Amino acid sequence: MTTLLQLKDVRASYDGALVLDGVSLHVDAGETVGLVGRNGAGKTTTLLSIFGVPQVTGEILVEGKALGKRGYEPAARGVSIVPQEKRIFPNLTVTENILLGGASGRRGRWTVETLFELFPNLARGKDRPGDRLSGGEQQMLAIARGLMADPKVLLLDEPTEGLAPVIIDELIDALKVIQDSGTALVLVEQHVRMVQMLASRFVALGKGRVVAEGATADLQSREVQELIAL
Amino acid sequence: MDLAQLLNGLAYGALLMILSSGLAMIYGLRGVMNFAHGALYMLGAYLAYEVTQRTSFWAALVLAPLLLAAVGAALELGVFRRLQHRSHIEVGLVMFGAALIIERTIVLIWGDDTLPVKAPSALDGTANVLGTDYPAYRLLIIGVAAVMAVALVLWLKRSRTGLHIRAASHDTETAKILGIDVDRVSLVVVALGAALAGLAGVLAAPYFSVQPGMGQSILIMVLIVVVAGGVGSIGGAMVAALALGLIQTAGNVWIPSVAVLVPYLVAIAVLLWRPSGLAGKRVA
Repeated sequence: MTTLLQLKDVRASYDGALVLDGVSLHVDAGETVGLVGRNGAGKTTTLLSIFGVPQVTGEILVEGKALGKRGYEPAARGVSIVPQEKRIFPNLTVTENILLGGASGRRGRWTVETLFELFPNLARGKDRPGDRLSGGEQQMLAIARGLMADPKVLLLDEPTEGLAPVIIDELIDALKVIQDSGTALVLVEQHVRMVQMLASRFVALGKGRVVAEGATADLQSREVQELIAL
Repeated sequence: MDLAQLLNGLAYGALLMILSSGLAMIYGLRGVMNFAHGALYMLGAYLAYEVTQRTSFWAALVLAPLLLAAVGAALELGVFRRLQHRSHIEVGLVMFGAALIIERTIVLIWGDDTLPVKAPSALDGTANVLGTDYPAYRLLIIGVAAVMAVALVLWLKRSRTGLHIRAASHDTETAKILGIDVDRVSLVVVALGAALAGLAGVLAAPYFSVQPGMGQSILIMVLIVVVAGGVGSIGGAMVAALALGLIQTAGNVWIPSVAVLVPYLVAIAVLLWRPSGLAGKRVA
């Protein structure tokens, strides 16, 4: 199977404070990987390190080729992110926020229209400013924006955080459609149920290192639970 | 206040609008005040003098903004991009130094005498506006500012680059991870901002005198406009510029002895009433 994204011995720091200490992981074409761990384990930093947000050393490869240090490169190479706290632009409309996802110039299967079919709530408020949306709608918008660049790998940082169960169910349905389209997912999640429902494999982080990995069925094992304490 | 005085206020406000739009755009994206903006305006006025002497005012109206765009690009590549991770105070001081260098270089080239720039002959006389004879050249300033304002807002609202500018002005980091080359966007914005400063300088040349202190005196007014409009907001700056032009003119008419204080009083009043300015930090 083709490896789409690979991190090799990645160390990342903010203002000299080491947050990731030699993280290595890979994502294959079409698979979903759950990235789990306690708060502060380095999950968000692992995703952001791909975009050069913290200072990073080590190797990050997309389809076997090294990624440069410029933060705008991953989107053009087929790696998109749905960041934690959504980061919706409040000064732009729903449609403009989605169009922004195609800023790298990379386009493919997803268009504004097909994304509105995937998230009908967004279609109904397409001219509303980003800050006039509910938390669930903002999350849907962040996912739609990430898909606009037709990513091969979509990184999702705690997409269900703070959402009502009914909205989470809607999101899971949408993520299954995205999986079926062949897009690989990296899912940072606190909810084991969510990871087990969507991912086939997990990578567990602890104190900036990979402490366990395997099939998601093993997430319930006592050893893994003690390591990651979800 | 009669119609002629109202139009004077609009003409002055129009100049401030052209100048402050560029400053607001640069602040919105790079997050620093470009203290060299007055010097760029001054350079535009001196280039207007030079080009008008050699060819025509109309050639100056095209050439000076283009040359200033090149100067803006050099400032972006040489200063803003290199210092983007430094503190605002450091970058502000560097830009203050750049202003002094530009202004001193202008004096070395053109001297410190006041220089005349004649309005084009077609606009040398007056035009009838609702029964009032009014200098045609000042109507040109109002017209150019109106066209610039509409074009700028449409560009920001409708174009792909405008969308990227609005996004990057709000959140640079998120714009980057979505695939926007923020440095390229900034190059466009700083070059355009400098070109607008040059355009304002050319338009101001026949209106005011062209002299070495012109950059510093207008910079203070433009800073007041940008702060009162809502730092980083182009729409707010446009509204504040027109309002300040009209208020300043009304002050000159009604309370001439203290009119010089009017802009500062306006700035204090706006900041007390609405600390984030008329529009807060939004672009267009």
